[in-house]
Amino acid sequence: MTNFGNNNSSIKTILAEKGLDSNGKYLRKQLDKICTNDVEKALSAPVGTYNFNKLLALISPAAEDYLEQMAQLAHQLTIQRFGPTIRLYAPLYLSNYCSNSCCYCGFNKDNKSERTRLTIDQALAEADIIASEGFRDILLVSSEDRQFISVDYLVELAGKLRGKFASISIEIYQLSCDEYARLFKAGIEGVTLYQETYDREAYRYYHPSGPKSDYDNRLRTPENIASAGMREVGLGVLLGLTDWRVEALALAEHAHYLIKRYWQSHVSFSFPRLRPAPEVGSSQFKHLLCDKNLVQMITALRLCFADAGLVLSTRERAQLRDHLVKLGITKFSAGSKTNPGGYSGRCKATEQFEIDDNRNPAQVAAMIRQQGFEPVWKDWDIAFIK
Amino acid sequence: MEVLKINGKEKQFPDGIPKTLVELLKLLDINQATVVAEVNGKIIERQNFSQTQLRNGQKIELVRFVGGG
Amino acid sequence: MSKLIIAGREFHSRLLIGTGKFASCELMAEAIERSGTEIVTVALRRVDIENENDDILSAIDRNHYLLLPNTSGARDADEAVRLAKLARAATGINWLKLEVTPDPYYLLPDPVETLKAAEILVKDNFVVLPYINADPILAKKLEDAGTATVMPLASPIGSNQGLKTRAALEIIIEQANVPVVVDAGLGLPSHAADAMEIGADAVLVNTAIATAADPPEMAEAFKLAVEAGRMAFESGMPSISKRASASSPLTGFLRET
Repeated sequence: MTNFGNNNSSIKTILAEKGLDSNGKYLRKQLDKICTNDVEKALSAPVGTYNFNKLLALISPAAEDYLEQMAQLAHQLTIQRFGPTIRLYAPLYLSNYCSNSCCYCGFNKDNKSERTRLTIDQALAEADIIASEGFRDILLVSSEDRQFISVDYLVELAGKLRGKFASISIEIYQLSCDEYARLFKAGIEGVTLYQETYDREAYRYYHPSGPKSDYDNRLRTPENIASAGMREVGLGVLLGLTDWRVEALALAEHAHYLIKRYWQSHVSFSFPRLRPAPEVGSSQFKHLLCDKNLVQMITALRLCFADAGLVLSTRERAQLRDHLVKLGITKFSAGSKTNPGGYSGRCKATEQFEIDDNRNPAQVAAMIRQQGFEPVWKDWDIAFIK
Repeated sequence: MEVLKINGKEKQFPDGIPKTLVELLKLLDINQATVVAEVNGKIIERQNFSQTQLRNGQKIELVRFVGGG
Repeated sequence: MSKLIIAGREFHSRLLIGTGKFASCELMAEAIERSGTEIVTVALRRVDIENENDDILSAIDRNHYLLLPNTSGARDADEAVRLAKLARAATGINWLKLEVTPDPYYLLPDPVETLKAAEILVKDNFVVLPYINADPILAKKLEDAGTATVMPLASPIGSNQGLKTRAALEIIIEQANVPVVVDAGLGLPSHAADAMEIGADAVLVNTAIATAADPPEMAEAFKLAVEAGRMAFESGMPSISKRASASSPLTGFLRET
């Protein structure tokens, strides 16, 4: 909706003006002031449309008493827009050699981890296993390994995967607009890139070195993705690094910004929640979210973004994932291996994080059906346009 | 007989066509301050009306503002 | 109330007035004044050689009102571009309401020719305000092409039917990065207020005022309606209660742990 004036500010300015890139003390005060009237007003606002103050109310502590109502509305809205369906995808890790030293990650270059990277043929072998499970939607993941997992490598891999997979997306280090355009031409249609945290100070702390340590460059990248023509843009924060309520607001502003400027790109939200990983202890992290918080964030975002994809990975335990099927989530990974070569088991490389839903894809699909939803393996086909 | 096609209609000038656009407008009793002119498809700026020489057979469009939504 | 900003220029009034169909220039001038408008549209037509008419421009003080020529009569992009250039030559200003209406019955705008003309005119430094059907995709494409606003219709010109295209208008308003001016079909002040309440940035009214029994009075009524609608919108519309019909509880599991 209108801001009562033309707004051509950059996302950097918008976040700064709203206090979303600093420690959130001011916003925390605003959140604590939210009362039941504000929450009820937010719930009566047109469902599925975004407004900063509406999300502020829905994400507040006061809204915790309204979770059931938020869940019901989110459920109904998601069914209206997506039908009772859950899309399934699998991640294919290509490398865990990394030039970054992100504190929270198993692939941190300073960790003593088993490193490996896949050749094109090895990647194709992993992809075959993934395809044999039924997947037609694949996410190519890599650490900051530019030299090996280069744009040329990805172009070649995408070309060879196109016959097997209807949808190929990537989650890798930042690229330029031209590089994304090359990848789009090669058949990659979506890019996921988490800001991890919108809080500048926290960002500096958790990303001390490497190319990923540049906050502004990271922040600008989703725009490069969208302007390169990618159909899907995946956003997210690593929940648990800082105050999740403030991060949810920043994430929403970023999404809203992209949706207004790049009207042909579809935005999705992911919810990676800090989980234990080898050499990454949970005692260092003071802002961990409980399940109730996660449910509030998912439903609040659904109530503000009727058509956004909401993606949940196998980081989360099985029982929680089952309950979230009806709370607005639209996409699940299943049977994931977060280490390169993990599907074939041919090498013992370190995982990025521990999986907590160890069911195989068929079991996950069965659970989805049991809840009255349809597991969707493929909802697009490049054959439609080529 | 010399003619000019003005606003789609042929008009004959037994005494010869006016030499310039300004003279044509005076002849037709049209206020030049509010009219826009096109000669053979080319828009003539108002300051050039007096310098614009007319030739036999040219197509002239004279347009002005009227009420509209 | 906030100001309306079009192409970097500020306006207090969110009511634009069309000057067609008035019984006389005097009535038109008085209605314009009572409306509080700052933007007035006019059309271009061939001078009638045989008859001298009132010159409309003498009744509109260009020091007070921004003249917005329209390209009504154009049936394709080429004609619209030609009219645009004539208008610019006449006024020396480059603001333009782009109107391409090949259909003489409902005067509905041609989306393809409008987009084509808009692209040409924006490149030629016109400030283009395109009149369109309430098509959200077309609105985005025109915005991408660089138009200063979009002007979706509420219902066909002169039909006075109000917001027949309401649902589409709401989408356009939600998605637009340029001002949205609801134009055509607003027959009552309450229609104009309605358009402002759903978030339109401005409205354009012609027939309802020009053909009223007392045009200046009706002009003022529209002025008040636009102000009321905008004030309501800016103060935050009150909520309409919605109760979700609970089937079985979805968050019970959170209490189990």
